[in-house]
Amino acid sequence: MGAGRDERAEVRAAQRGSASGIEALFRLHWPRAYRAAFLVVHDAAAAEDIAQEAFLAAVRNLDRFDRGRPFGPWLHRIVVNRAIDWTRSRQLRAEAELVDVEAPEESGPLDASLLGALAALPPEHRAVIVLRHLLDYTPGEIAELLGLPRGTVNSRLRRGLDSLKESV
Amino acid sequence: MEIPGEHEARERSWAVVQAAFAEREPQPRRRSWKPVAALALVLAGAAGLLSPSGRAVLDEIREVVGVERSAPALFSLPASGRLLVTGDSGAWVVEEDGSRRLLGPYADATWSPFGRYVAATRKDELAALEPDGDVRWSLPRPGARSPRWTGSATDTRIAFVTDSRLHVVGGDGTRDVDAGGGPAPAADIAPAWRPRRRFELSYLDSLHRVATFGVETSGTSWRSIAIPDAQQLTWAPDGTRLLVVGRNRLVSLRGADGTATVRRERGVTAASWAPDGRLAIVRTVRGRSEVLVDGRVRFSTAGAIDRPVWSPDGRWLVVALPQADQWVFVRASAKTGLRAVANVSSQFRSRSFPVIAGWCCLSE
Repeated sequence: MGAGRDERAEVRAAQRGSASGIEALFRLHWPRAYRAAFLVVHDAAAAEDIAQEAFLAAVRNLDRFDRGRPFGPWLHRIVVNRAIDWTRSRQLRAEAELVDVEAPEESGPLDASLLGALAALPPEHRAVIVLRHLLDYTPGEIAELLGLPRGTVNSRLRRGLDSLKESV
Repeated sequence: MEIPGEHEARERSWAVVQAAFAEREPQPRRRSWKPVAALALVLAGAAGLLSPSGRAVLDEIREVVGVERSAPALFSLPASGRLLVTGDSGAWVVEEDGSRRLLGPYADATWSPFGRYVAATRKDELAALEPDGDVRWSLPRPGARSPRWTGSATDTRIAFVTDSRLHVVGGDGTRDVDAGGGPAPAADIAPAWRPRRRFELSYLDSLHRVATFGVETSGTSWRSIAIPDAQQLTWAPDGTRLLVVGRNRLVSLRGADGTATVRRERGVTAASWAPDGRLAIVRTVRGRSEVLVDGRVRFSTAGAIDRPVWSPDGRWLVVALPQADQWVFVRASAKTGLRAVANVSSQFRSRSFPVIAGWCCLSE
Protein backbone atom coordinates (compact mmCIF):
# COMPACT_ATOMS: atom_id res chain seq x y z
CA MET A 1 0.00 0.00 0.00
CA GLY A 2 2.80 2.34 1.05
CA ALA A 3 4.81 1.34 -1.99
CA GLY A 4 1.81 2.07 -4.20
CA ARG A 5 1.44 5.55 -2.69
CA ASP A 6 5.17 6.16 -3.18
CA GLU A 7 4.92 5.10 -6.78
CA ARG A 8 1.96 7.38 -7.43
CA ALA A 9 3.93 10.24 -5.88
CA GLU A 10 6.86 9.50 -8.18
CA VAL A 11 4.55 9.39 -11.22
CA ARG A 12 3.06 12.76 -10.20
CA ALA A 13 6.53 14.21 -9.71
CA ALA A 14 7.68 12.92 -13.10
CA GLN A 15 4.58 14.37 -14.75
CA ARG A 16 5.52 17.74 -13.26
CA GLY A 17 8.97 17.38 -14.82
CA SER A 18 10.94 16.13 -11.83
CA ALA A 19 14.07 14.26 -12.89
CA SER A 20 14.25 12.53 -9.52
CA GLY A 21 10.69 11.26 -10.03
CA ILE A 22 11.49 9.58 -13.34
CA GLU A 23 14.77 8.23 -11.94
CA ALA A 24 12.95 6.65 -9.00
CA LEU A 25 10.50 4.96 -11.38
CA PHE A 26 13.35 3.80 -13.58
CA ARG A 27 15.40 2.37 -10.70
CA LEU A 28 12.34 0.65 -9.26
CA HIS A 29 11.02 -0.95 -12.43
CA TRP A 30 13.86 -1.37 -14.89
CA PRO A 31 15.45 -4.54 -13.38
CA ARG A 32 12.26 -6.55 -13.51
CA ALA A 33 11.37 -5.21 -16.95
CA TYR A 34 14.82 -6.13 -18.27
CA ARG A 35 14.83 -9.59 -16.70
CA ALA A 36 11.34 -10.34 -17.94
CA ALA A 37 12.36 -9.32 -21.46
CA PHE A 38 15.53 -11.40 -21.23
CA LEU A 39 13.67 -14.52 -20.16
CA VAL A 40 11.34 -14.18 -23.13
CA VAL A 41 13.86 -13.22 -25.83
CA HIS A 42 17.09 -14.88 -24.50
CA ASP A 43 19.22 -12.13 -25.96
CA ALA A 44 20.74 -9.57 -23.61
CA ALA A 45 21.06 -6.82 -26.21
CA ALA A 46 17.48 -7.27 -27.38
CA ALA A 47 16.24 -7.32 -23.78
CA GLU A 48 18.09 -4.07 -23.16
CA ASP A 49 16.48 -2.52 -26.23
CA ILE A 50 13.03 -3.73 -25.26
CA ALA A 51 13.22 -2.48 -21.67
CA GLN A 52 14.67 0.82 -22.87
CA GLU A 53 11.98 1.30 -25.50
CA ALA A 54 9.29 0.54 -22.93
CA PHE A 55 10.63 3.30 -20.70
CA LEU A 56 10.90 5.68 -23.64
CA ALA A 57 7.24 4.91 -24.41
CA ALA A 58 6.47 5.64 -20.77
CA VAL A 59 8.24 9.01 -21.00
CA ARG A 60 6.39 9.89 -24.20
CA ASN A 61 3.02 9.02 -22.70
CA LEU A 62 3.63 10.28 -19.20
CA ASP A 63 1.16 13.12 -19.44
CA ARG A 64 -1.61 10.78 -20.49
CA PHE A 65 -0.88 8.20 -17.81
CA ASP A 66 -3.74 7.61 -15.38
CA ARG A 67 -2.26 8.21 -11.93
CA GLY A 68 -4.93 6.04 -10.38
CA ARG A 69 -3.44 2.95 -11.98
CA PRO A 70 -0.19 1.22 -11.01
CA PHE A 71 2.82 1.95 -13.22
CA GLY A 72 4.42 -1.53 -13.12
CA PRO A 73 1.73 -3.57 -14.91
CA TRP A 74 1.44 -0.91 -17.59
CA LEU A 75 5.19 -1.09 -18.23
CA HIS A 76 5.32 -4.88 -18.05
CA ARG A 77 2.55 -5.15 -20.59
CA ILE A 78 4.60 -3.14 -23.08
CA VAL A 79 7.73 -5.16 -22.30
CA VAL A 80 6.17 -8.58 -22.63
CA ASN A 81 4.22 -7.78 -25.77
CA ARG A 82 7.33 -6.36 -27.43
CA ALA A 83 9.37 -9.34 -26.32
CA ILE A 84 6.84 -11.72 -27.86
CA ASP A 85 6.84 -9.72 -31.11
CA TRP A 86 10.62 -9.68 -31.16
CA THR A 87 10.84 -13.43 -30.62
CA ARG A 88 8.34 -14.15 -33.36
CA SER A 89 10.19 -11.97 -35.85
CA ARG A 90 13.49 -13.51 -34.75
CA GLN A 91 12.13 -16.96 -35.50
CA LEU A 92 11.21 -15.81 -38.98
CA ARG A 93 14.74 -14.49 -39.53
CA ALA A 94 16.56 -17.17 -37.56
CA GLU A 95 18.93 -18.13 -40.34
CA ALA A 96 20.04 -14.58 -41.08
CA GLU A 97 20.64 -13.62 -37.49
CA LEU A 98 21.96 -16.77 -35.93
CA VAL A 99 25.32 -15.16 -35.26
CA ASP A 100 23.69 -12.43 -33.24
CA VAL A 101 22.16 -14.68 -30.57
CA GLU A 102 23.87 -14.26 -27.24
CA ALA A 103 23.96 -17.18 -24.84
CA PRO A 104 23.98 -16.30 -21.14
CA GLU A 105 27.29 -16.87 -19.42
CA GLU A 106 27.64 -20.17 -17.61
CA SER A 107 28.66 -18.69 -14.30
CA GLY A 108 26.25 -16.70 -12.19
CA PRO A 109 22.93 -17.28 -10.58
CA LEU A 110 21.01 -18.24 -13.73
CA ASP A 111 20.22 -21.91 -14.13
CA ALA A 112 21.41 -22.73 -17.65
CA SER A 113 19.27 -25.85 -18.02
CA LEU A 114 16.16 -23.97 -16.95
CA LEU A 115 16.96 -21.15 -19.34
CA GLY A 116 17.46 -23.62 -22.14
CA ALA A 117 14.15 -25.30 -21.40
CA LEU A 118 12.41 -21.94 -21.23
CA ALA A 119 13.93 -20.96 -24.57
CA ALA A 120 12.44 -24.08 -26.14
CA LEU A 121 8.89 -22.97 -25.30
CA PRO A 122 6.80 -20.92 -27.73
CA PRO A 123 7.15 -17.21 -26.91
CA GLU A 124 3.52 -16.91 -25.75
CA HIS A 125 4.09 -19.67 -23.18
CA ARG A 126 7.36 -18.13 -22.07
CA ALA A 127 5.64 -14.81 -21.53
CA VAL A 128 2.92 -16.12 -19.22
CA ILE A 129 5.45 -18.14 -17.20
CA VAL A 130 7.68 -15.09 -16.79
CA LEU A 131 4.73 -12.91 -15.79
CA ARG A 132 3.46 -15.51 -13.33
CA HIS A 133 6.69 -16.74 -11.76
CA LEU A 134 9.11 -13.84 -12.12
CA LEU A 135 6.80 -10.87 -11.87
CA ASP A 136 4.26 -12.58 -9.58
CA TYR A 137 1.12 -11.60 -11.46
CA THR A 138 -2.00 -13.68 -10.91
CA PRO A 139 -3.52 -15.50 -13.89
CA GLY A 140 -6.33 -12.95 -13.85
CA GLU A 141 -3.90 -10.06 -14.01
CA ILE A 142 -1.94 -11.76 -16.80
CA ALA A 143 -5.15 -12.22 -18.75
CA GLU A 144 -5.85 -8.52 -18.40
CA LEU A 145 -2.29 -7.51 -19.24
CA LEU A 146 -2.09 -9.58 -22.42
CA GLY A 147 -5.72 -9.24 -23.43
CA LEU A 148 -6.31 -12.98 -23.28
CA PRO A 149 -9.13 -15.12 -21.84
CA ARG A 150 -8.22 -16.39 -18.40
CA GLY A 151 -8.63 -19.99 -19.54
CA THR A 152 -5.99 -19.44 -22.24
CA VAL A 153 -3.57 -18.08 -19.64
CA ASN A 154 -4.17 -21.07 -17.40
CA SER A 155 -3.70 -23.58 -20.19
CA ARG A 156 -0.50 -21.88 -21.37
CA LEU A 157 0.82 -21.90 -17.83
CA ARG A 158 -0.02 -25.57 -17.39
CA ARG A 159 1.43 -26.67 -20.71
CA GLY A 160 4.50 -24.50 -20.26
CA LEU A 161 5.24 -25.88 -16.82
CA ASP A 162 4.69 -29.43 -18.02
CA SER A 163 7.25 -28.90 -20.77
CA LEU A 164 9.72 -27.37 -18.33
CA LYS A 165 9.36 -30.33 -15.96
CA GLU A 166 10.09 -32.76 -18.78
CA SER A 167 13.15 -30.82 -19.91
CA VAL A 168 14.86 -30.02 -16.62
CA MET B 1 18.31 -13.29 -10.29
CA GLU B 2 20.80 -11.02 -12.06
CA ILE B 3 21.75 -11.32 -15.70
CA PRO B 4 25.42 -10.88 -16.64
CA GLY B 5 26.01 -7.31 -17.79
CA GLU B 6 22.78 -6.11 -16.23
CA HIS B 7 24.31 -3.20 -14.35
CA GLU B 8 25.96 -1.80 -17.48
CA ALA B 9 22.76 -2.30 -19.46
CA ARG B 10 20.79 -0.42 -16.81
CA GLU B 11 23.14 2.56 -16.84
CA ARG B 12 23.18 2.72 -20.65
CA SER B 13 19.39 2.70 -20.70
CA TRP B 14 19.19 5.28 -17.95
CA ALA B 15 21.34 7.67 -19.97
CA VAL B 16 18.94 7.36 -22.91
CA VAL B 17 15.77 7.61 -20.81
CA GLN B 18 17.16 10.58 -18.90
CA ALA B 19 17.93 12.40 -22.15
CA ALA B 20 14.46 11.64 -23.52
CA PHE B 21 12.90 12.92 -20.31
CA ALA B 22 14.95 16.12 -20.48
CA GLU B 23 13.58 16.78 -23.97
CA ARG B 24 10.01 16.18 -22.94
CA GLU B 25 7.67 19.14 -22.95
CA PRO B 26 5.21 18.80 -20.05
CA GLN B 27 1.52 19.49 -20.67
CA PRO B 28 -0.29 21.75 -21.09
CA ARG B 29 1.41 23.04 -24.18
CA ARG B 30 0.84 26.60 -25.20
CA ARG B 31 -0.18 27.22 -28.77
CA SER B 32 2.40 28.99 -30.83
CA TRP B 33 2.11 30.42 -34.31
CA LYS B 34 5.84 30.15 -34.91
CA PRO B 35 5.81 26.53 -36.13
CA VAL B 36 2.90 27.41 -38.41
CA ALA B 37 4.86 30.30 -39.84
CA ALA B 38 7.88 28.06 -40.37
CA LEU B 39 5.70 25.45 -42.06
CA ALA B 40 4.19 28.10 -44.29
CA LEU B 41 7.67 29.13 -45.33
CA VAL B 42 8.61 25.56 -46.18
CA LEU B 43 5.39 25.02 -48.09
CA ALA B 44 5.95 28.24 -49.94
CA GLY B 45 9.39 26.97 -50.89
CA ALA B 46 8.05 23.63 -52.06
CA ALA B 47 5.29 25.28 -54.06
CA GLY B 48 7.79 27.56 -55.67
CA LEU B 49 9.99 24.72 -56.77
CA LEU B 50 7.11 22.73 -58.19
CA SER B 51 4.92 25.27 -59.96
CA PRO B 52 5.66 26.74 -63.42
CA SER B 53 5.81 30.22 -62.00
CA GLY B 54 8.05 29.05 -59.20
CA ARG B 55 11.00 31.20 -60.11
CA ALA B 56 9.34 34.42 -59.00
CA VAL B 57 8.27 32.89 -55.71
CA LEU B 58 11.73 31.44 -55.27
CA ASP B 59 13.27 34.85 -55.73
CA GLU B 60 11.01 36.22 -53.02
CA ILE B 61 11.97 33.44 -50.66
CA ARG B 62 15.63 33.90 -51.45
CA GLU B 63 15.37 37.44 -50.22
CA VAL B 64 14.14 36.05 -46.92
CA VAL B 65 16.26 32.95 -46.46
CA GLY B 66 19.35 33.37 -48.60
CA VAL B 67 22.49 35.46 -48.66
CA GLU B 68 21.71 38.74 -50.38
CA ARG B 69 24.98 39.21 -52.21
CA SER B 70 25.76 36.06 -54.11
CA ALA B 71 27.68 35.20 -57.25
CA PRO B 72 25.43 34.10 -60.12
CA ALA B 73 27.59 31.00 -60.71
CA LEU B 74 30.44 29.06 -59.14
CA PHE B 75 33.59 30.65 -60.53
CA SER B 76 36.12 29.20 -58.09
CA LEU B 77 36.50 27.39 -54.77
CA PRO B 78 37.95 29.37 -51.86
CA ALA B 79 40.36 26.55 -50.96
CA SER B 80 42.25 23.88 -52.83
CA GLY B 81 40.69 20.57 -53.76
CA ARG B 82 37.74 19.39 -55.83
CA LEU B 83 34.06 19.06 -54.97
CA LEU B 84 32.03 15.94 -55.66
CA VAL B 85 28.36 16.74 -56.24
CA THR B 86 25.31 14.60 -57.00
CA GLY B 87 21.98 15.69 -58.43
CA ASP B 88 19.23 14.49 -60.75
CA SER B 89 21.56 14.57 -63.73
CA GLY B 90 24.24 12.48 -62.02
CA ALA B 91 27.59 12.86 -60.26
CA TRP B 92 29.79 15.87 -61.00
CA VAL B 93 33.34 16.90 -60.19
CA VAL B 94 33.95 20.62 -59.65
CA GLU B 95 37.52 21.77 -60.10
CA GLU B 96 39.15 24.53 -58.06
CA ASP B 97 38.57 27.01 -60.91
CA GLY B 98 34.82 26.28 -60.88
CA SER B 99 34.76 24.14 -64.04
CA ARG B 100 32.41 21.18 -63.85
CA ARG B 101 32.46 17.71 -65.36
CA LEU B 102 29.57 15.25 -65.40
CA LEU B 103 30.83 11.75 -64.54
CA GLY B 104 27.62 9.95 -65.45
CA PRO B 105 24.11 9.26 -64.21
CA TYR B 106 25.06 8.20 -60.69
CA ALA B 107 22.90 8.88 -57.64
CA ASP B 108 25.45 8.65 -54.83
CA ALA B 109 29.22 9.09 -54.84
CA THR B 110 32.31 9.30 -52.63
CA TRP B 111 35.97 10.15 -53.09
CA SER B 112 38.70 7.55 -52.75
CA PRO B 113 41.04 8.31 -49.80
CA PHE B 114 43.40 10.48 -51.88
CA GLY B 115 40.87 11.77 -54.38
CA ARG B 116 42.29 9.82 -57.30
CA TYR B 117 39.03 8.00 -57.97
CA VAL B 118 35.33 8.21 -57.26
CA ALA B 119 33.09 5.32 -56.17
CA ALA B 120 29.54 5.88 -57.38
CA THR B 121 26.27 4.00 -57.35
CA ARG B 122 23.19 3.98 -59.49
CA LYS B 123 20.31 1.57 -59.70
CA ASP B 124 21.80 -1.92 -59.39
CA GLU B 125 25.44 -0.90 -59.91
CA LEU B 126 28.58 0.13 -57.99
CA ALA B 127 31.33 1.65 -60.13
CA ALA B 128 34.82 3.08 -59.65
CA LEU B 129 35.53 6.05 -61.89
CA GLU B 130 38.40 8.30 -62.83
CA PRO B 131 37.65 11.95 -62.05
CA ASP B 132 37.30 12.49 -65.81
CA GLY B 133 34.45 9.98 -65.93
CA ASP B 134 36.26 6.89 -67.28
CA VAL B 135 34.94 3.74 -65.65
CA ARG B 136 37.70 1.63 -64.04
CA TRP B 137 35.38 -1.20 -63.05
CA SER B 138 31.77 -1.80 -62.13
CA LEU B 139 29.81 -4.42 -60.21
CA PRO B 140 26.14 -5.26 -60.72
CA ARG B 141 24.57 -5.10 -57.25
CA PRO B 142 20.80 -4.62 -56.83
CA GLY B 143 19.94 -1.57 -54.75
CA ALA B 144 23.58 -0.48 -54.26
CA ARG B 145 23.92 2.86 -52.42
CA SER B 146 25.87 4.86 -49.81
CA PRO B 147 29.42 3.97 -50.91
CA ARG B 148 32.24 4.93 -48.54
CA TRP B 149 35.91 4.46 -49.49
CA THR B 150 38.88 4.14 -47.11
CA GLY B 151 42.44 2.87 -46.97
CA SER B 152 46.06 3.66 -47.69
CA ALA B 153 47.80 4.52 -50.94
CA THR B 154 48.23 0.81 -51.69
CA ASP B 155 45.27 -0.99 -50.12
CA THR B 156 41.69 0.27 -50.01
CA ARG B 157 38.16 -0.97 -49.34
CA ILE B 158 34.74 0.36 -50.33
CA ALA B 159 31.76 -0.22 -48.03
CA PHE B 160 28.31 0.05 -49.53
CA VAL B 161 24.77 -0.99 -48.75
CA THR B 162 22.21 -3.01 -50.69
CA ASP B 163 18.62 -3.69 -49.70
CA SER B 164 19.51 -6.40 -47.24
CA ARG B 165 23.25 -6.40 -46.78
CA LEU B 166 26.30 -4.38 -45.88
CA HIS B 167 29.05 -5.06 -48.43
CA VAL B 168 32.78 -4.44 -48.44
CA VAL B 169 34.72 -4.74 -51.69
CA GLY B 170 38.39 -4.21 -52.48
CA GLY B 171 39.39 -0.98 -54.18
CA ASP B 172 40.05 -2.97 -57.35
CA GLY B 173 36.48 -4.28 -57.38
CA THR B 174 37.34 -7.80 -56.24
CA ARG B 175 36.48 -9.78 -53.09
CA ASP B 176 32.99 -8.40 -52.51
CA VAL B 177 31.80 -9.87 -49.20
CA ASP B 178 28.74 -9.59 -47.01
CA ALA B 179 30.07 -7.77 -43.98
CA GLY B 180 28.91 -7.42 -40.41
CA GLY B 181 27.29 -10.82 -39.99
CA GLY B 182 24.45 -9.32 -37.96
CA PRO B 183 21.13 -7.65 -38.63
CA ALA B 184 20.68 -5.84 -41.94
CA PRO B 185 21.82 -2.21 -42.18
CA ALA B 186 19.30 0.58 -41.69
CA ALA B 187 17.98 1.79 -45.02
CA ASP B 188 19.20 5.36 -45.28
CA ILE B 189 22.19 5.77 -42.99
CA ALA B 190 25.60 5.49 -44.63
CA PRO B 191 28.24 3.32 -42.94
CA ALA B 192 31.34 5.05 -41.53
CA TRP B 193 34.96 3.87 -41.60
CA ARG B 194 36.90 4.37 -38.38
CA PRO B 195 39.94 6.58 -39.00
CA ARG B 196 43.40 5.38 -38.00
CA ARG B 197 42.28 1.77 -37.78
CA ARG B 198 42.84 -0.81 -40.46
CA PHE B 199 39.46 -1.37 -42.08
CA GLU B 200 37.23 -1.00 -39.05
CA LEU B 201 33.66 -0.17 -40.06
CA SER B 202 30.58 1.10 -38.21
CA TYR B 203 27.01 0.90 -39.41
CA LEU B 204 23.53 1.35 -38.03
CA ASP B 205 21.57 -1.88 -38.11
CA SER B 206 17.85 -2.35 -38.55
CA LEU B 207 17.49 -2.68 -34.76
CA HIS B 208 18.85 0.89 -34.47
CA ARG B 209 22.13 -0.20 -32.90
CA VAL B 210 25.55 0.86 -34.15
CA ALA B 211 27.80 -2.14 -34.79
CA THR B 212 31.55 -1.70 -35.21
CA PHE B 213 33.75 -4.49 -36.51
CA GLY B 214 37.07 -5.19 -38.18
CA VAL B 215 36.55 -6.18 -41.80
CA GLU B 216 39.69 -8.32 -41.79
CA THR B 217 38.88 -10.01 -38.49
CA SER B 218 35.88 -12.07 -37.46
CA GLY B 219 33.30 -10.96 -34.92
CA THR B 220 31.88 -7.64 -33.82
CA SER B 221 34.05 -5.26 -31.79
CA TRP B 222 31.03 -3.73 -30.10
CA ARG B 223 27.39 -2.96 -30.54
CA SER B 224 25.87 0.18 -29.06
CA ILE B 225 22.63 0.88 -27.29
CA ALA B 226 19.63 1.29 -29.56
CA ILE B 227 19.49 4.81 -31.02
CA PRO B 228 16.09 4.89 -32.72
CA ASP B 229 16.44 8.51 -33.83
CA ALA B 230 19.89 8.14 -35.45
CA GLN B 231 20.23 10.18 -38.64
CA GLN B 232 23.96 10.23 -39.32
CA LEU B 233 27.17 8.48 -38.21
CA THR B 234 30.48 10.34 -38.27
CA TRP B 235 33.81 9.32 -36.75
CA ALA B 236 36.12 11.87 -35.14
CA PRO B 237 39.29 12.08 -37.25
CA ASP B 238 41.41 10.59 -34.46
CA GLY B 239 39.10 7.55 -34.26
CA THR B 240 38.42 7.95 -30.55
CA ARG B 241 34.68 8.47 -30.82
CA LEU B 242 31.80 8.03 -33.19
CA LEU B 243 29.21 10.76 -33.18
CA VAL B 244 25.60 9.82 -33.90
CA VAL B 245 23.29 12.68 -34.80
CA GLY B 246 19.87 12.06 -33.30
CA ARG B 247 16.76 14.13 -32.87
CA ASN B 248 17.62 17.00 -30.53
CA ARG B 249 20.70 15.16 -29.29
CA LEU B 250 24.19 14.03 -30.12
CA VAL B 251 25.19 10.57 -28.96
CA SER B 252 28.93 10.05 -28.62
CA LEU B 253 30.06 6.41 -28.72
CA ARG B 254 33.49 5.65 -27.29
CA GLY B 255 35.69 4.11 -29.94
CA ALA B 256 37.08 1.45 -27.64
CA ASP B 257 33.83 -0.13 -26.48
CA GLY B 258 30.84 1.84 -27.77
CA THR B 259 29.90 3.32 -24.40
CA ALA B 260 27.37 6.07 -25.06
CA THR B 261 27.35 9.63 -23.80
CA VAL B 262 24.29 11.68 -24.66
CA ARG B 263 24.38 15.45 -25.12
CA ARG B 264 21.20 17.39 -25.62
CA GLU B 265 21.46 19.64 -28.68
CA ARG B 266 18.13 21.15 -29.56
CA GLY B 267 17.31 21.20 -33.26
CA VAL B 268 20.53 19.51 -34.40
CA THR B 269 20.25 18.09 -37.93
CA ALA B 270 23.82 17.35 -39.03
CA ALA B 271 27.44 17.25 -37.90
CA SER B 272 30.81 17.20 -39.63
CA TRP B 273 34.38 16.88 -38.30
CA ALA B 274 37.20 19.04 -39.61
CA PRO B 275 40.48 17.26 -40.38
CA ASP B 276 41.96 18.76 -37.20
CA GLY B 277 39.10 17.58 -34.95
CA ARG B 278 36.88 20.68 -34.77
CA LEU B 279 33.21 19.86 -34.94
CA ALA B 280 30.68 21.71 -37.06
CA ILE B 281 27.00 21.15 -36.40
CA VAL B 282 23.84 22.47 -38.02
CA ARG B 283 20.83 23.16 -35.89
CA THR B 284 17.42 24.56 -36.69
CA VAL B 285 15.38 26.23 -34.00
CA ARG B 286 12.11 28.06 -34.64
CA GLY B 287 12.65 28.08 -38.40
CA ARG B 288 16.14 29.57 -38.21
CA SER B 289 19.22 27.48 -38.97
CA GLU B 290 22.74 27.96 -37.67
CA VAL B 291 26.16 26.52 -38.40
CA LEU B 292 28.30 26.28 -35.29
CA VAL B 293 31.97 25.38 -35.13
CA ASP B 294 33.00 24.12 -31.71
CA GLY B 295 29.93 25.81 -30.25
CA ARG B 296 30.34 29.23 -31.90
CA VAL B 297 27.88 30.43 -34.51
CA ARG B 298 29.57 31.00 -37.86
CA PHE B 299 26.54 31.41 -40.10
CA SER B 300 22.79 31.62 -39.63
CA THR B 301 19.83 32.02 -41.93
CA ALA B 302 16.09 31.51 -42.13
CA GLY B 303 15.16 28.16 -43.68
CA ALA B 304 17.04 24.89 -43.80
CA ILE B 305 20.76 24.16 -44.14
CA ASP B 306 22.05 20.84 -45.48
CA ARG B 307 24.95 18.87 -44.01
CA PRO B 308 28.15 20.97 -43.95
CA VAL B 309 31.28 19.83 -45.77
CA TRP B 310 34.78 20.92 -44.72
CA SER B 311 37.49 22.02 -47.13
CA PRO B 312 40.54 19.71 -47.07
CA ASP B 313 42.61 22.37 -45.25
CA GLY B 314 39.91 22.86 -42.59
CA ARG B 315 39.63 26.62 -43.19
CA TRP B 316 36.26 26.68 -44.95
CA LEU B 317 32.92 24.98 -44.77
CA VAL B 318 30.43 24.78 -47.58
CA VAL B 319 26.77 24.60 -46.66
CA ALA B 320 23.77 24.25 -48.91
CA LEU B 321 20.60 26.36 -48.66
CA PRO B 322 18.05 24.43 -50.73
CA GLN B 323 15.24 26.95 -50.34
CA ALA B 324 17.43 29.78 -51.58
CA ASP B 325 19.06 27.59 -54.26
CA GLN B 326 22.42 28.71 -52.91
CA TRP B 327 25.69 27.34 -51.62
CA VAL B 328 27.49 29.38 -49.01
CA PHE B 329 31.20 29.03 -48.28
CA VAL B 330 31.75 29.92 -44.64
CA ARG B 331 35.11 30.75 -43.12
CA ALA B 332 35.48 28.39 -40.14
CA SER B 333 37.45 30.70 -37.89
CA ALA B 334 35.53 33.95 -38.31
CA LYS B 335 31.98 35.15 -38.64
CA THR B 336 32.89 37.27 -41.65
CA GLY B 337 34.06 36.14 -45.05
CA LEU B 338 31.00 34.48 -46.56
CA ARG B 339 30.95 33.60 -50.24
CA ALA B 340 27.56 32.72 -51.64
CA VAL B 341 26.78 31.14 -55.01
CA ALA B 342 23.28 31.34 -56.50
CA ASN B 343 21.42 29.27 -59.11
CA VAL B 344 23.03 26.04 -57.97
CA SER B 345 20.38 23.65 -59.29
CA SER B 346 20.54 24.94 -62.85
CA GLN B 347 24.35 24.77 -62.85
CA PHE B 348 24.07 21.02 -62.26
CA ARG B 349 20.99 20.55 -64.48
CA SER B 350 19.09 19.25 -61.48
CA ARG B 351 15.43 19.66 -60.55
CA SER B 352 16.13 18.70 -56.95
CA PHE B 353 18.79 20.54 -55.00
CA PRO B 354 22.27 19.04 -55.58
CA VAL B 355 24.07 17.32 -52.69
CA ILE B 356 27.73 18.06 -51.92
CA ALA B 357 29.18 14.57 -51.43
CA GLY B 358 32.75 15.57 -50.60
CA TRP B 359 35.59 18.07 -50.92
CA CYS B 360 38.91 16.42 -51.61
CA CYS B 361 41.93 16.60 -51.29
CA LEU B 362 45.09 18.53 -50.49
CA SER B 363 47.74 18.23 -53.19
CA GLU B 364 50.15 15.38 -52.47
